[in-house]
Amino acid sequence: MAISLLKKENGSDNMRLNLVLELLDVPGQLLDALDPIGKLGANIVAVIHQRDVKTERGTVPVHITLEGDEETLKRVLDSIEKMDIQIMEVDGVVKKEKITTIFIGNIVDQDLKETVKVLNNINGVSVADLDLKMSDNPTKSASRIVIEADYGIKKSLMENIKELGRSKGFLVINEV
Amino acid sequence: MKLCIIGFGAVGKGVSRVISMKKEILKEKYGLDISVVAVTDRSGAAINPDGLDTDLLIETKEKTGKISEYPEYGVPDVTGIHVLNQVDYDCLIEVTPTNIDDGEPAKSHILTAMKDGKDVVTSNKGPLSLCFSELIEAANSNNSIFKYEASVGGAMPIINFAHETLAGNEISSVQGILNGTCNYILSRMANEGSPYVQTLNEAQELGIAETDPYQDVEGIDAACKIVILANSVLNMNVSLKDVQIEGISRITPESISLAKKEGFLIKLIGEASHNNLEVSPRLVREGSPFAVDGTLNVATLRTDLADDVTVAGKGAGSIETASAILSDIISIWKSSL
Repeated sequence: MAISLLKKENGSDNMRLNLVLELLDVPGQLLDALDPIGKLGANIVAVIHQRDVKTERGTVPVHITLEGDEETLKRVLDSIEKMDIQIMEVDGVVKKEKITTIFIGNIVDQDLKETVKVLNNINGVSVADLDLKMSDNPTKSASRIVIEADYGIKKSLMENIKELGRSKGFLVINEV
Repeated sequence: MKLCIIGFGAVGKGVSRVISMKKEILKEKYGLDISVVAVTDRSGAAINPDGLDTDLLIETKEKTGKISEYPEYGVPDVTGIHVLNQVDYDCLIEVTPTNIDDGEPAKSHILTAMKDGKDVVTSNKGPLSLCFSELIEAANSNNSIFKYEASVGGAMPIINFAHETLAGNEISSVQGILNGTCNYILSRMANEGSPYVQTLNEAQELGIAETDPYQDVEGIDAACKIVILANSVLNMNVSLKDVQIEGISRITPESISLAKKEGFLIKLIGEASHNNLEVSPRLVREGSPFAVDGTLNVATLRTDLADDVTVAGKGAGSIETASAILSDIISIWKSSL
């Protein structure tokens, strides 16, 4: 976790940290997420929990502002991650997630460069890696594209990729 | 309980075998005395109101290929409907081959039994994936109990599991590997780097893939199961035409090797949710619950209270499928007590 993102509060040893967590909309989830914060010695300055605002996965984004010394806040972040609670943002910086997709088809004829350009033009998306395997039969070539995308857009991005691949006659194999 | 078994192929024979194996135990444990009073196949029927010998049924079918050759009680050239109208029974076991064009003759068998107020157990995906709501309505309006656990995933418990064990949960999606033949082919291709056609041919030689594998490899079989799960577990009202289907015949060794480099396997995944009905090849993480080899089926149900629950089990096989049918029979018996 990028501890350098933590900001000092007016010269004191205490720092303030803004987090956005992704919680299931189930009773007890918020309490479980907040529990280690107090136990580890950090102060909770604010919690904004709007159940009617949902992510595309149907989960609830919860904004939490914390105060504490650098070491304590680091321990809090570690413990939240260990609890498998997804952290969507740390101090306004959206976390990235990696998405892998495979295309099968006449990839070279269908201009792979253009496909990459289309993907890179989607907001919050960049192609991080690309691998190509040619087959004896050019219509059976395969390429693997690894994309870095802003946290939370995976599902809609996979739909975009599916449409893009289909428009070029590729078989698109997305992640589950 | 008097059973009428319509269809005496692999599953019908499996049911007969399982009844032979478990008859005494069922009597002791549940007080359930099963008697098979009629069995039909294309040749006709074997009918005895006092009960047929389940071992002799299998022997007759295996030796002659015709159930109508059953000693003394064999009746040639009668249809399933005729038998259902003539014989006194409590529960229909409908295990004729799946027909996804119009669901017949299974649909007529099931509706005939229901109209007579009989209970029905089936493994037949055809009528369930084409006219699910019609069958449920017929069952409800005739006070007939309708069970179909064996229609999805053979011995993998999912429908009754969702209805009973996860009762009280809201289930938002079901995702899984629902076709053992495709999983076997993709597993072999991943392990051996072999091309699709060669692997399919080997699977056919081993009897894992059908002589005509179209419905399996093109995703139709998995799509039927997705329809059944969408209707029965997610309370949707959909049929086969609502599912986006892509099979595995376009998967190449090159694509599998590229997936592996990134720690993924390619599997044929069926997905049912209120936003998506789809069967398509997908990337699954090595080591994840979906990374199962061979002919296994696996499914994850996403719930509001229990989070994700994953079940796995053998997706085919006559005894495995008969196991699911037997559990439905026992469940009907228990609810009648």
